[in-house]
Amino acid sequence: MSDPLLDVRDLVVRYGQVTAVDGVSFSLAAGETLALNGPSGCGKSSTALAVLQLRRPDSGEVRFEGRELTTLPEPELRPLRPRMQPVFQDPYGSLSPRHRIRDAIAEPLKVQGRWDPEKGPARVAELLDRVGLDPAYGDRRPHELSGGQCQRAGIARALASDPRLLVLDEPVSSLDPSVRAGVLNLLADLQDDLGLGYLFICHDRAVVRHVADRVIEMREGRVTSG
Amino acid sequence: MRFAAKKAAGLTRCAGLVAVLAVVGLLPWLSHRDPALTVLRARSAEQEATEEALSAIRADLGLDAGPLSLLGRWAADLLRGDFGTSWVSGHEVLPSVLAGLQVSLGLMGAALAVAVLLAAALVAPVLVRGRGSAGAFAAMLAAVPEFLLATVVLLVFGVWLGWLPTSGWQSAEYMVLPALALGVPAGGLLGRLVADALPAVLDERWVELWRGAGVSRARIAGAALRRVLPPLVPQFGMVAVGLTGGAVAVETVFAVPGIGRTALGAARSQDLPLLQGAVLALLLLGLVAGALAAGVRRRLLGPALRDAGLTLPPARPVRAHPAVPVTLAAVLLLTIGWGLLRDPYAVDTTVRLAAPSWAHPLGTDGLGRDVLARLGHGAASTVGTATAVGLLGLLIALLLGFLPGIAAGAADIANALPPVIVGILVAAAVGPGTGGAALAVALISWPALSAHAAALVQEVRASAFLTAQRAIGASPFWILTRHVLPSVAGPVARHALLRLPGIALALASLGFLGLGAQPPAPEWGLLLEESRAYVERAPWAALAPAVALALLAGLAVSGAALTQGRRVRRATPAPVRKEAPVGV
Repeated sequence: MSDPLLDVRDLVVRYGQVTAVDGVSFSLAAGETLALNGPSGCGKSSTALAVLQLRRPDSGEVRFEGRELTTLPEPELRPLRPRMQPVFQDPYGSLSPRHRIRDAIAEPLKVQGRWDPEKGPARVAELLDRVGLDPAYGDRRPHELSGGQCQRAGIARALASDPRLLVLDEPVSSLDPSVRAGVLNLLADLQDDLGLGYLFICHDRAVVRHVADRVIEMREGRVTSG
Repeated sequence: MRFAAKKAAGLTRCAGLVAVLAVVGLLPWLSHRDPALTVLRARSAEQEATEEALSAIRADLGLDAGPLSLLGRWAADLLRGDFGTSWVSGHEVLPSVLAGLQVSLGLMGAALAVAVLLAAALVAPVLVRGRGSAGAFAAMLAAVPEFLLATVVLLVFGVWLGWLPTSGWQSAEYMVLPALALGVPAGGLLGRLVADALPAVLDERWVELWRGAGVSRARIAGAALRRVLPPLVPQFGMVAVGLTGGAVAVETVFAVPGIGRTALGAARSQDLPLLQGAVLALLLLGLVAGALAAGVRRRLLGPALRDAGLTLPPARPVRAHPAVPVTLAAVLLLTIGWGLLRDPYAVDTTVRLAAPSWAHPLGTDGLGRDVLARLGHGAASTVGTATAVGLLGLLIALLLGFLPGIAAGAADIANALPPVIVGILVAAAVGPGTGGAALAVALISWPALSAHAAALVQEVRASAFLTAQRAIGASPFWILTRHVLPSVAGPVARHALLRLPGIALALASLGFLGLGAQPPAPEWGLLLEESRAYVERAPWAALAPAVALALLAGLAVSGAALTQGRRVRRATPAPVRKEAPVGV
């Protein structure tokens, strides 16, 4: 087996006295979907944040594309961050309520110094189209979209960074069942086309069976099977 | 990191406390007024100020040792629980401070009850209709000068109707009128702040969802209030503290023996032990209230703050009607323009305190000067100075809002000081002049704004979309300037506008210290102060500038609501596609 995209070893996350994640290990190859399944409060989301280095783990290793992230100081980590993008459960909470969808999707390009005033707008329209949204939606603000549309916009924003890994933290849990399937199919298409690795966090077994190549069960901060 | 922030806040609290008490202790040496002389005058008016009498007092008080050793001795006694004795009366300081504090806290409680009731009445229509209002009415209430309202309710309920006692402090009914005078402007302010934050929350999706699920209106209203209150809880705390120490004008009108008047009297006679005791009590009260408010706020927000799990309300326009600000602007501009055509300084003693007539449309003042003319000529300087001070306060508030650890402690300290005491200290330090008043008012006007900014900054920082910002590799500077600052600046700036008339009034109330505009300048606050003495005989002379200030407040707030609504215009709907339902 070649080098995995993501390799996590003995991850530990504590909040004060509470150990939310207690020695979790797994690895994930490019183009693969690994589901992290378990009841709420079992440490799935804390694992996601720790993998993304959005909350630094208390101990353990996170190797991404062969580089150890946990020991990197923030300024050295910053250029690597676009390679792994989160998609959150609440589609409205993860986009700024003040900004139009167009600007939210353009922002990663601007932050990462890849914004071209001439080609940029076309790139944003292309990303909107890629996630199945009419580019005219770019003029709207998040609360003027439905939950499913807003989640698609969130995925477009994540794609704008040209990531290799998406950490999907219950991306369809707050959506209607009918809309849910559309978003899951979109994610499957994107994976086929772009070869993305998915760390898919979920508590719904039906969804897990639908999307995952492999499943890890978590309970009280520990991996119980997988 | 949180521990470090807590430590920093504790340090600034202690440093602020010590700094204020040190400046108070140095008051006579800063102002170059001999405390022996003022103490002699305060003790007995008849006694000649001979050199012997003065040196006897100096020896008695230990003044010759100099300010630093005096301060050191006071601090050492304080650590033993000894607050010292008053230089003027010779009584122990602690009992008189406690008595004053007790009266003021009682009055504050009653005034706060009035304020909360009024605020609830102002907020109720927003909750019922589910959308925002221009807020002109609440802003006008917030602009009512306390002393004017005090005089009006005293005349109406105390003198004409005779329902309630007009002066003193013996039983609960003595509280009613002062509490009304203090509570109405405070209620207008608090009500407007809540109503300003509510529409965005009522536009959130859960409201629709709950309505659809048949949840009662009352429960939705309760939940919406719980959602907007966290950043405003510190404001309630600060208003309560402000009502305790800053009620000097109302305490004077009703002869209430509160701590504000105790402190003012002590400051004027340079009775240092009493002044230090009163200021210390007020500062401690401010710190306790600040800590309480912070605790309540943390409980309301729960662990979402720590887990960065907050969702910010959407930026939706309030549907403000342009009629309100346009009417207010027209009335104000016409009045000012008419006044500008007339002579504000022409004294005509034959028509003193004349009622409104064709010759004098708004009547005349105590020197027979035309009120309309003075109103018109004072507009530019009044609005200009108040705006400049307000901007300075806003700037300080936004800067300090990003350092909540350092700012919170200093804000609690600065907010607890009665404005007039700050005025006396500033006058002593920099001498009389226009700049001094601006400095003094700027010093006390930033805490409320900075507490508001700090609370909003903290909540923006704890929202999930900022986590997504870090994930795309955004630098802290980018996040600050593109996301945090724009979310915070709007509400805090509208809050600053709401306080504009209060700033104008505070500037004028320091006039007697030689700070700010001096007679015969036709400044609005000064007009109000001058008309104080004969409010009963010539109410129009006081009413005209008060109404002008209220109109200004209404204009500022409703105008801000209108521009806010313009900025966030709705986009045209786009067709839906590619979201066909598919079975899992």
